[in-house]
Amino acid sequence: MKKIVIFFGLLLPLALRAQNPAPAKPQSRPIALTGATIHVGNGQVIENGTLVFDKGIITAIGNASTTFDRTATEVLNLTGKHIFPSLVSMGTTVGLQEIASVRATLDFQEVGEINPHVRALIAYNTDSEIIPTLRNTGILVSQAVPQGGLVSGQSSVFYGDGWNWEDAVLKKDDGVWLSWPPYLARSFNPEDFTFSIKKNEKRAEVIQSLRAYFADAKAYAEIADPAPVNLRLASMKNLFSGAANLYVRADYAKDIIEAVQFAKEMGVQKVVIMGGDESHKITGFLKENQVPVVLEELHRLPSRPDDDVYLPYELPARLHKAGVKVALSYGSGWWRTRNLAFQGGTAAGFGDLTPDEALQLVTRNPAEIMGVAQQVGTLEKGKHATLVVARGDLLDMRSNVIEKAYVKGADVNLDDKHKRLYEKYKEKYGH
Amino acid sequence: MKKTVWTLVAWLAFGTLSYAQQTFPRNGAYDERPGRYAFTNATIVVDPKTTIQKGTLLIENGLIKEVGTNVKVPGGTVVTDLQGKYIYPSLLELDSNYGMPEIKSERRGGGRQPQQLESAKKGAYGWNQAIQPENEATALFTVDAKKAAELRKLGFGTVLTHPHDGIVRGTGALVTLADEVANDVLLRAGVSAHFSFNKGSSTQNYPNSIMGSVALLRQTYYDADWYAKGGKDQETNLSLSYFNQIKNLPAFFEVSDKLGILRADKVGDEFGIQYIIKSGGDEYQRIDDIKASGASLLVPLTFPEAFDVTDPWDAEAVTLAELKHWEMAPGNPAAVAQAGIPFALTTSGLPNTANFWTRLRTAVEFGLSKEKALEALTTAPARLIKAENLVGSLKKGMLANFLITSDELFANDNIIYENWIKGKPYIITDRHTPDLRGTYNLAYGGQASGQLRITGTPTKPEYQLVLSDSLKVTPKVSVANQLLTITYQPDSKKPGTVRLTGWLSARELGGEGSLPDGMPLAWSATLTEPYQTPAAPTDTTVRKPKEIGKLLYPFVGLGNEERPKAETILFKNATVWTNEQEGVVQGTDVLVQNGKIARIGKSLSAPAGARTIDATGKHLTSGIIDEHSHIALFAVNEGSQSSTAEVRMSDAINSEDINIYRQLAGGVTTSQLLHGSANSIGGQSAVIKLKWGAMPSEMWLPEAKYIKFALGENVKQSNWGDVARVRFPQTRMGVEQIYMDHFIRAREYDKAWKDYNGARNKASRLAPRRDLELEALAEILNNERFITCHSYVQSEINMLMHVADSLKFKVNTFTHILEGYKLADKMAERGIGGSTFSDWWAYKMEVKEAIPYNAALMAREGVVVAINSDDAEMARRLNQEAAKAVAFGGISEEDAWKMVTLNPAKLMHLDQRMGSIKTGKDADLVLWNNHPLSIYARPDYTLIEGTIYFDFKADESKQAKLAQEKARLIQKTLEAKSSGAPTQRPDMRRPRMWHCEDVLGEHSEHEHGK
Repeated sequence: MKKIVIFFGLLLPLALRAQNPAPAKPQSRPIALTGATIHVGNGQVIENGTLVFDKGIITAIGNASTTFDRTATEVLNLTGKHIFPSLVSMGTTVGLQEIASVRATLDFQEVGEINPHVRALIAYNTDSEIIPTLRNTGILVSQAVPQGGLVSGQSSVFYGDGWNWEDAVLKKDDGVWLSWPPYLARSFNPEDFTFSIKKNEKRAEVIQSLRAYFADAKAYAEIADPAPVNLRLASMKNLFSGAANLYVRADYAKDIIEAVQFAKEMGVQKVVIMGGDESHKITGFLKENQVPVVLEELHRLPSRPDDDVYLPYELPARLHKAGVKVALSYGSGWWRTRNLAFQGGTAAGFGDLTPDEALQLVTRNPAEIMGVAQQVGTLEKGKHATLVVARGDLLDMRSNVIEKAYVKGADVNLDDKHKRLYEKYKEKYGH
Repeated sequence: MKKTVWTLVAWLAFGTLSYAQQTFPRNGAYDERPGRYAFTNATIVVDPKTTIQKGTLLIENGLIKEVGTNVKVPGGTVVTDLQGKYIYPSLLELDSNYGMPEIKSERRGGGRQPQQLESAKKGAYGWNQAIQPENEATALFTVDAKKAAELRKLGFGTVLTHPHDGIVRGTGALVTLADEVANDVLLRAGVSAHFSFNKGSSTQNYPNSIMGSVALLRQTYYDADWYAKGGKDQETNLSLSYFNQIKNLPAFFEVSDKLGILRADKVGDEFGIQYIIKSGGDEYQRIDDIKASGASLLVPLTFPEAFDVTDPWDAEAVTLAELKHWEMAPGNPAAVAQAGIPFALTTSGLPNTANFWTRLRTAVEFGLSKEKALEALTTAPARLIKAENLVGSLKKGMLANFLITSDELFANDNIIYENWIKGKPYIITDRHTPDLRGTYNLAYGGQASGQLRITGTPTKPEYQLVLSDSLKVTPKVSVANQLLTITYQPDSKKPGTVRLTGWLSARELGGEGSLPDGMPLAWSATLTEPYQTPAAPTDTTVRKPKEIGKLLYPFVGLGNEERPKAETILFKNATVWTNEQEGVVQGTDVLVQNGKIARIGKSLSAPAGARTIDATGKHLTSGIIDEHSHIALFAVNEGSQSSTAEVRMSDAINSEDINIYRQLAGGVTTSQLLHGSANSIGGQSAVIKLKWGAMPSEMWLPEAKYIKFALGENVKQSNWGDVARVRFPQTRMGVEQIYMDHFIRAREYDKAWKDYNGARNKASRLAPRRDLELEALAEILNNERFITCHSYVQSEINMLMHVADSLKFKVNTFTHILEGYKLADKMAERGIGGSTFSDWWAYKMEVKEAIPYNAALMAREGVVVAINSDDAEMARRLNQEAAKAVAFGGISEEDAWKMVTLNPAKLMHLDQRMGSIKTGKDADLVLWNNHPLSIYARPDYTLIEGTIYFDFKADESKQAKLAQEKARLIQKTLEAKSSGAPTQRPDMRRPRMWHCEDVLGEHSEHEHGK
């Protein structure tokens, strides 16, 4: 407890700075967190638990009887607190956009339709003022994703702390993003301000061109030393070896089925559906083909007037219960991804899931989908100590107050722009 | 008879000179004729209520001379025996653009257009292009022979035509559909005045919303009145001058839906005008309210085609409401008639006018009486334009506009033979076509050679030759006048055609012909058996009343079969969040009676007939109040001018928006529907209670008089691209001056009225011109209307507070107020409230310093803080948004809860009747299954004034019912498709979700940065 008091004491001087705090220093000695309720991230909960980590790696986790070398270890008693693995936030534009209406701050969409060669990796801005605000609701891992076009580019997975992208990246180029041409196309009528949704007439043609493109890419991948070099084709290579995911944005059930079958036919090893508004209609298909679904933004209205009013909120539970691997995301959001935890809470409140089951949908499942489960997603021995200490239930707004955060064992400064302005104006009013 | 035909040919051949034009020179000898015709032995339907059997109609010179059974036919009359035939008055169409110039619109096209603030119309007209009272159909009219023929074919003889363009469209002209010079066709000029809410081809920005259209029309009435009373001495304005000339004519108002009828009627009420309203065909959905408006209607026959629902997933694109409308729309004319609403039918809106009769017969099948239908096409429209002594029935002295038909007009196989207009015939189907049907013995050269069988209808006979038992051929036959030609190939495998030519006599056909080898041959066919109409199948399923689903209130899948009613309800043993001094009390009962909270206490007993709800383990709160919402609206921004204080959101309420129900499912009971933020001074807000199933007028709380202001990037149009560099202001500097200028004008305006009202010699003074915009601003100055101001950064917030101080008005609420935390002291000092987002930021420059601690900082400084949604989705989680104030800034749970209930009630000056659980307040309550600030909470019940509008369990059965009803209708649709009915592809047309920054279809990054 004492340590925490000291920690908060440190905040005040920091508040005078008008910029993001320095990234944390690497863990210098073993740390043990004791007395807290540990939410492992796989559905398991340990009351009065002990969690020990050294050099960024979890060395022990268990109940109060867990033993560790007390002499060499800094021990923090966190009785009454809750420990969670970092939330894992997929599909975002975090680090790629700062202020939506200012074009100069936008780095997520290239010109053209097929851009598998562009990489979020190198545009990711560790100095974004958004990133520190995300840590304060439990997000220490975000996937940054290019947007737009048919093939938008390649995503990477980042830690929410680091001096530069090289330093912050957890997994480089984890996948290529494809927007499946939708079966139904939306068009807006400025005359009467309505949306019409109609069959997409150009679709067959677009799919033909994609088919040709993927076939070329696969053939190209088989050449050891291709000449001439084609950057676009070359960047598809990992899809065919299984080293990278093909993320497909698709919402309608027909689109999902078609996209999955397309990917299989083209020799893509791992397919992930992003969006999946209608995935509840085809749970059998998804389970059979072992296709995970990353839902976008539960906090949305049902897409059809006749839909169950709570349908989006109920989706995760329906998929999970049907045996589909499902993760929650905030779509292409950036600042708003800080509400990711509450989507987990919503999934539990409106669906047939316990809060700890729902927690998996924002921790373990996304980590597994992106292939970073060896490091993050659950609190298990041998994994990174990337975790948060919260006042209470992380999935509920009232108790989602982050008191400490560790990225790979490094103690992260939780200051952010909002806290700085808060402190500044508390000072003005003498609160 | 030959003569008639000959005359017709003469007209066609020698042009269209008519004897009515005395002033016109003639080319050649005069050809005036008396035009005296008598039609005898006909069944004459004089009007829908009067039928004469074996009557005579005598016409002369285009007018009806006499009609009756005992008519003396003078010498020199062309007499036609119409034994077995019928005469009807020809039909009258009131909503036509016949002969009007095509309306050209330059406005269309994608993307944002350059702003056009002034009228592009040249001349001394009014300021707005959509107001065109000067358009006279009479002057614009030209004859359109093709269109006239099309309408004549359907049985129409006369139409009221007008240019369908703009909000005030000018006057209509009554014209016949004769093929004559326009001079003869025009019956009456300036018959009617025409209106709509659609600005038509106007390229001007204002108005660009429904509430703008209403405001513009209202202002035009006031301006015209002022102009007539003396304003004309101060300015010349031809539009107003014309408006004064037309405003007392029968006034037609075109709307597109049921709510539009009531909206138009309300405008009419304000000016003592009862519009005749051209409706959209969905009146049956709210027939009582429409009846109560007192309006007469022009009802279209626009029944939707069935949807193609073959693929079950595609079918999901079709809503239940669309399917139900498909099923029920044909019953609309019957519903209107049954309600006793005076109405006329119109072909307007039919994609193909040729379908008119099919549609009309369908309407009759669905319960519209034939008498009513005929009335709605003859006497009723005539009455509406005060032409009942000219057209619409067959009485002495009226125009000789009538139809000769084979049968009763609505009979399925009725044929319209002739359509007479002003005493001149137009042949639709030659009634002299002989009925050849029957079985004939065929003889070639006197030898019996088989049979000729003629079936089908008299006008479309079908022929068959039975040459032997095994050889039947279908010959090609043409009949013209009394002559006929038959050709056939006796052996389909061998080339060689038999050709017969012949003529008709009483019971025999016969003549000459030649065989394939050229051998000549005499032939005859003798009638042996006259044609017998096959007996109608005894099972007359077609006419059985159809299985029709129930109406829904509102007409949306999740609507109610019955309008919900207030109940007496006792909540037992709840955790009650009173929002009063008592705070949160455990194990408490709350009794709801007569829409109010009747008692709060322990162990209350239920009055007789009360519903008792066990609330053990549950939380009872007052309903959530959303201070900033744009749901349930047809439009959100007028936004075309820097000030649109005259527009009223109450004119745009859409009581059928599914989001009303969705909000109820999130515990919201009251929403303030705000104008958008496109301009410094926006429109007047509408506070509504979310009474799902009620009409807009029943939801609206008129006593909450608010107006939306806005500051910052939207009003200076920063994010609208370079086309939006015309309208003042473009900077925050300009915004201040907009307010200064408008309020100074409002102050002068207010003074002018006060002086006038206080003057003794009022009669001799011209009243100031009533200006709806300045009137709304003057209400602010007089503390009768209150400001909710969209605001982000501190400089401009400070500015508005200073402007208000200097001009002595109050700002009631700053909404959004994302930098309120920087000025909370100044706001508190002035008693200004703050209604904010919990945690939005980073979507544009002016929100880069927005912080989630804003609510807490403002509240601690003494500002009344509300948390709002500005978003249909977030509104259903406002309890969660309030809970964020607990985490960000450590607000107590009770105070956080007040931020979405009592505090917004205070900001809307409605805390006397809502916002807390207190005896005597409105029973707007939510029973939550969990702690209301918890992420795991959802409503079990949401009540407004004692009526349950959302019930979690009932919602489940509602959904089951919806699915069932949809399944039934899809089956019915499939049957219709397989029986050959035309279908349409599902077209998922959805009203968009509004945010306050939506203007002209553009959408800023407000929507969660998408």
